[in-house]
Amino acid sequence: MEVLLFKVQIYYSTLRIALIFLLSIGYSAHASSNTGYVDNYIAKSYFNRYDSLVDQEFDYFVANEIPLGLFKVLKDKYHVLPTLSGLHRNVAGEGSHRHLSSSIRFKLPHELKPELIAHSCEVIIIERLPSGVFADPFELQHLVQRDVFTDVAVFGDKNLELPSFRSNRTVVEIHMSIASKMFSSHEDDLVVNLGVPLHARYPALGLGFSRVQFRQPDLFMCCNIEENRSCVSMAIVDSEASSDVWEIPCGIKEHARIVSVVTFAFAVITALLLVSASATYSI
Amino acid sequence: MPEMRFRSLLIFSALFRVFLILYGEWQDAHMEVRYTDVDYFVFSDAATLMAGGKSPYDRLTYRYSPLIAFLLIPNSFLHRSWGKFLFSASDLLVGLLIHRILKLRGVPEKLCTYSTMLWLFNPFTFTIGTRGNCEPIVCSMILWILICLMNDHILQAAFWYGLVVHLRIYPIIYALPIIILLDPLYFQPGKKPTLVNWSSSTSKSSWETSYTKITGLQYICNFFSSLITWRRVMFGFVSGSTFLMLTGLCFHLYGWEFLNGALLYHLTRTDPRHNFSIYFYHIYLHYEDEFSIVEKLVSFLPQFIVQLVLISRFALDLPFCLFLQTLAFVAFNKVITAQYFVWFLCLLPLIFPWSNMKLKWKGVACISVWIGAQTHWLMWGYLLEFRGKNVFLQLWLASLLFLAANTFVIINVIRSHVYCPLFRPLQSNSSKSVKDD
Repeated sequence: MEVLLFKVQIYYSTLRIALIFLLSIGYSAHASSNTGYVDNYIAKSYFNRYDSLVDQEFDYFVANEIPLGLFKVLKDKYHVLPTLSGLHRNVAGEGSHRHLSSSIRFKLPHELKPELIAHSCEVIIIERLPSGVFADPFELQHLVQRDVFTDVAVFGDKNLELPSFRSNRTVVEIHMSIASKMFSSHEDDLVVNLGVPLHARYPALGLGFSRVQFRQPDLFMCCNIEENRSCVSMAIVDSEASSDVWEIPCGIKEHARIVSVVTFAFAVITALLLVSASATYSI
Repeated sequence: MPEMRFRSLLIFSALFRVFLILYGEWQDAHMEVRYTDVDYFVFSDAATLMAGGKSPYDRLTYRYSPLIAFLLIPNSFLHRSWGKFLFSASDLLVGLLIHRILKLRGVPEKLCTYSTMLWLFNPFTFTIGTRGNCEPIVCSMILWILICLMNDHILQAAFWYGLVVHLRIYPIIYALPIIILLDPLYFQPGKKPTLVNWSSSTSKSSWETSYTKITGLQYICNFFSSLITWRRVMFGFVSGSTFLMLTGLCFHLYGWEFLNGALLYHLTRTDPRHNFSIYFYHIYLHYEDEFSIVEKLVSFLPQFIVQLVLISRFALDLPFCLFLQTLAFVAFNKVITAQYFVWFLCLLPLIFPWSNMKLKWKGVACISVWIGAQTHWLMWGYLLEFRGKNVFLQLWLASLLFLAANTFVIINVIRSHVYCPLFRPLQSNSSKSVKDD
């Protein structure tokens, strides 16, 4: 009896030491400060205000609540503006995991280039993903680490597992520093090629396939001018025809009854077989 | 000599796993398809968050106890592969513990070594740890609990049991057979229970005459009359309080995020996405409607009945019971992912020496049927996920076939098993054993 009590004491002492150790890690969780993001994401400001993505609200937000003063600064100081000369889009790949490829061509006057580099200007691409697809923030961060993008952030619904009818839309904001893209430019053109890895959600039930269509991205150029962040919206006027439609297989509603009946019947039959095998086993 | 052979086996297995980890690092850096499991990055990220004083549940899809992330904290300051080395070391520990259990049960050395090789050289198991999956840690705990029970270290067994249920939940299905095993029939004060030797199980007649045979009804009566025993109460109390303390501590540190992510998610998980389970398509087709209580109960019933029957028949042959229970549990579960297979693969070597199944041709048939059904499912899964074909119906039929394959394997394993209880009942004079009429 005493040996048993002694053993119990040893076990609980060990447990206490482990608990103290864990608590010290855990309490530092409450003492730490929140570093947070540097707030230079356009979409983040939108989601600070609104719960979910609604296209009309986002259009209004872009038109009225982003500091679009870069237009005036560039016009006044340099009398020239960067313009968008072409946009080609494509959903590449097969199956549930594809890439949304965009090739964006800018006309960038020669005299602007050193200024844009000096002011850490970036091209910002905002993809408002349709309901039915999502982007994995961790996968995108991996691309940032490999210098594919300068920076990327995902807003809206970040759940990777729920089907589309239980999810909200996602917004992906990609930053590409102009300085890093200069080597691929010739003359006055700047070409930005990017591929965003996307994944399909399970769509709502239907007749076989669910069609997901991508809208054009929102493009901006943003610079740091005199300690302020200033942007210009790049209007898309001429985009080539592209195959940016994704067909995702969906469950067929007509299967529901037969699948349920057969599933449960099968489970019961196999369970009975196992029960029978156990019962007839002679020990 | 036999010890040296087993030691060489372990060393070779260790070196092979180190090679795989190094290869995995190379593949991750140079090829698009990574060797490392996605879950490893989840653990790693959660551990980094934890090291920085944040909650590991800030990492999306981290659905484990904070203790797992805690183990991987050195990933952030030592090397990112620390976790893989830890899991592979647990993998080797599983091999060691399997060998120990079989030796304790008197299995001849050669058979011991072959059985252990079923784990150490199983391609499924050596990739699991080296890819960064934490299941080997859970498996090693389960085996350690078995060893503690065999050596009558009940409190230690109870502590580890409480811990492992906190980590993974599924071992809760072992509670009843363990309680049944802790029958006073096997325990004398101050003495370890006697283990039934492998050699005595080979001749059934000797095992029948050397002690009294207990009928099913008598056993049940005996069970209820001696239900409350010191060992059972202590096991339940210690394991229960260990579980509650760990869960309470984690809840105190991380709140509802922990409870939802690490416990409730697994208890209520209905994933509509395709997986090996027969239920996935049914769940997807009805996901827009809420599932009624009746529906949930009906889907749980086959699982529940199979578990009860297996326990009632085989509890005393504990390793065999645990193996069957785990295999059946996985097969009837609402969600089945490949990592769950490790849960019963670590118990397979423990029943191998008591199986009459010859490799030719029943053994080959079981292996082929099981792997074949899996491969068949994976083919349809590939067409759905990577080629975008609508093959939901075919994939669902493949999952039915997989359940059929599991059933085939379980029935054959039962039929070719030589029943061998873990403990030998005490002789009549000094025990409470029930005599035959």
